[in-house]
Amino acid sequence: MSASVPSSVPAGTLEYVGASIGYGARTIVRDASFAVAPGEFVGLVGPNGAGKSTLLRAITGGATVSAGDITFGGASLVRMPERERARIVGVVPQTQLATFSFTARAYVEMGRHAHLGRLAAPGPADAAIVDEVMERTDTARLAAEPVDELSGGDLQRLTLAQALAQQPHVLLLDEPTSHLDLNHALQVLELVRALADGGLAVVGVFHDLGLAARYADRISIVAGGGVTLPAPPASALDAQVVSDVFGVRAVVRTDPVTGSVAVTPIVRGADLAPAVSGPRIGLVCGSGAGAGLMRRLALAGHPLYAGALNRGDIDHAVAAAVGAGMAELPAFGEVDETVAAEVRAGYAECACVVVCETPFGGANLPNLQAALDSGRPLVLVGEMDGERDFAHGRARVLWDRALERGAVRVDTEADVSGALGRCGGVEA
Amino acid sequence: MTPAPGRSRTVLVLAGLAAALVLAIIAGVAFGAVPISPGEVVGAIAHALGGGERTLSDAVVLDLRLPRVLLAALVGAALALAGVLYQALFRNPLADPYILGVSSGAGLGATVAMMALGTSYMMRAIGVPLGAFAGAGLTMLLVVRLASRRGRLDPTSLLLAGMAVSYILSALTSFLLVLDREQMSGVVFWMMGGLQNRSWEHVASLGVMFAIGSIAPALYHRELDLMLLGDERAGQLGVPVERFKTLALASASLVVAGAVSVSGLIGFIGLMTPHMVRLALGPRHRLLLPASVLAGAIVLVVADLFARVVLAPVEIPVGIVTALAGGPFFLWILLRKERTR
Repeated sequence: MSASVPSSVPAGTLEYVGASIGYGARTIVRDASFAVAPGEFVGLVGPNGAGKSTLLRAITGGATVSAGDITFGGASLVRMPERERARIVGVVPQTQLATFSFTARAYVEMGRHAHLGRLAAPGPADAAIVDEVMERTDTARLAAEPVDELSGGDLQRLTLAQALAQQPHVLLLDEPTSHLDLNHALQVLELVRALADGGLAVVGVFHDLGLAARYADRISIVAGGGVTLPAPPASALDAQVVSDVFGVRAVVRTDPVTGSVAVTPIVRGADLAPAVSGPRIGLVCGSGAGAGLMRRLALAGHPLYAGALNRGDIDHAVAAAVGAGMAELPAFGEVDETVAAEVRAGYAECACVVVCETPFGGANLPNLQAALDSGRPLVLVGEMDGERDFAHGRARVLWDRALERGAVRVDTEADVSGALGRCGGVEA
Repeated sequence: MTPAPGRSRTVLVLAGLAAALVLAIIAGVAFGAVPISPGEVVGAIAHALGGGERTLSDAVVLDLRLPRVLLAALVGAALALAGVLYQALFRNPLADPYILGVSSGAGLGATVAMMALGTSYMMRAIGVPLGAFAGAGLTMLLVVRLASRRGRLDPTSLLLAGMAVSYILSALTSFLLVLDREQMSGVVFWMMGGLQNRSWEHVASLGVMFAIGSIAPALYHRELDLMLLGDERAGQLGVPVERFKTLALASASLVVAGAVSVSGLIGFIGLMTPHMVRLALGPRHRLLLPASVLAGAIVLVVADLFARVVLAPVEIPVGIVTALAGGPFFLWILLRKERTR
């Protein structure tokens, strides 16, 4: 399914055709060109004010299309009469006024407007549709409640029900979960996913990159006045994109439970800006034991060196996110003589090396050895007991040797700052 | 849950209000300088319809009292209809023809027409309502323009602009009247909101304007519901917002012009009635619209009755009665909004 070849677009496809969109004379997004086929769910992500909502609002006249067009099955949605358009496109806006006391059911029934004749009242068929969409959005029990007394979450689900009552072919969602608790957010997105699978073309604006990656088939990034072609989440979102677009250093990996892309923000790029303003600190870490400390030290301005780390290790991702030096190993790769020498040299440039509360096994034991061999002052975190030493006592031997040579031992990571002060005037 | 009970409730409520209106009209005709019994009132109407012999009380009823009371009913209905329309289109419970300046605009238009057209009866019968309509329409455009910032209508600005424009136009009207002293006393009394000495011609004139102005609201009651969700949302759900607004505001201007050109400035009916009806019956216009029209008619018939009997034989202009009742009501809405916040 290629978005760049218009001739292959299936019937019922929503298509942005070189659309430039803005408000009045001000253009927010230029030359948007992409297509959303029936059955497809495209997520729009990007920073605030980049024009995600504007892209959606242009379809229903809330923003101006100054060049190009937005079409459905080849017909311009921008120039279509409102009534006809409302039978094709359903919208769930970001916020909805609730300064009126319609009952929830009457509110949902308003979605039928474009299907009703001028003098006709809603009939049994309309009532059945309203019942069904309220059932699907878990709002049936609210039917008799006045909407101005409901919570934001209930109103948002009722607005989704209202949009579904339009029986649209295209569903536009502007942050559909912004007012929802976790349970209802997942429920709504599962429903939207099911609707897409049932043949609706869906476009959703997301702030939560993880939810976008989990539920959308493809993701477009809206930034800098443009829109990228929708791409599968795994290729649309990586650490570089997150850093470039949002200015946030993040760990982007595949969530082992959901199998979708998960984004964990580590630090804002702007906070890291005055980067080099303190002595270099080395860390012996792995398995995430160094993540929190690396983040803190990086924010304080220290250059960091994290030793040898395997790809796939959370500390590897965090080290990359905060720009720490390291020796990269393939997943499950071992430290050989060359790498060991590199790591020893790396630690030797540090004012001090912190041995984090990480378990030691065959792979990262050489880091501890290298830290010891570098001759730099060491700070040891926690106790070395059987639960940490998977190297058959060898970690214990190195640990004790470090203590003999005057290493400072602290109980928890929180005490590291104080200990750094004692090992050579380092402030953290 | 099914539409049926809702519909029978609608019928019940409207039948009740219609019956109350008939009773109010009979009472309105019965009271006055010469008391006439309700039986005589009904008899007079029956004679007029059946073509029987006319008595003296029939003449009082048919030539003096009935046109005046029916006119009060029509004026009340017209102002309430305009109030419903403004409150829905501007999503503002405080909007009414008086506060938005539309009544003053219609008043100025009618005054200009009166002075320009001289005393020819035919010219006045057509020209005054037309002048009032032009004044009402132009004022509405001006107020909306003044209250809009980058295509958005701010509710507070709307009320402030409406009141400011209203004062300016009232002052202009007074100024014109000072220039033309001969007409002054009559027009001033008219401007205060009076229903004295009104005849069947006035009833016919307003009746026609009210009938025309009711067509669009009656056909498009669902659009009015949708407008309460906001312009953009109404558009998303299938309402051609700009065209609909123009049509509905033109309808409102027409009925306000009709009311003002026969009875001057009568305030607060357009504000109070829809508000009370909405509190009692909910916001759906299928019911709110006809119920407000009937309630507006009842309120003004009763207010007019009051105006005639309180200081009898001296009559108070009915606008004074509605303002005395409406002012406190306006404050009550404001304070109630504050408290629920």
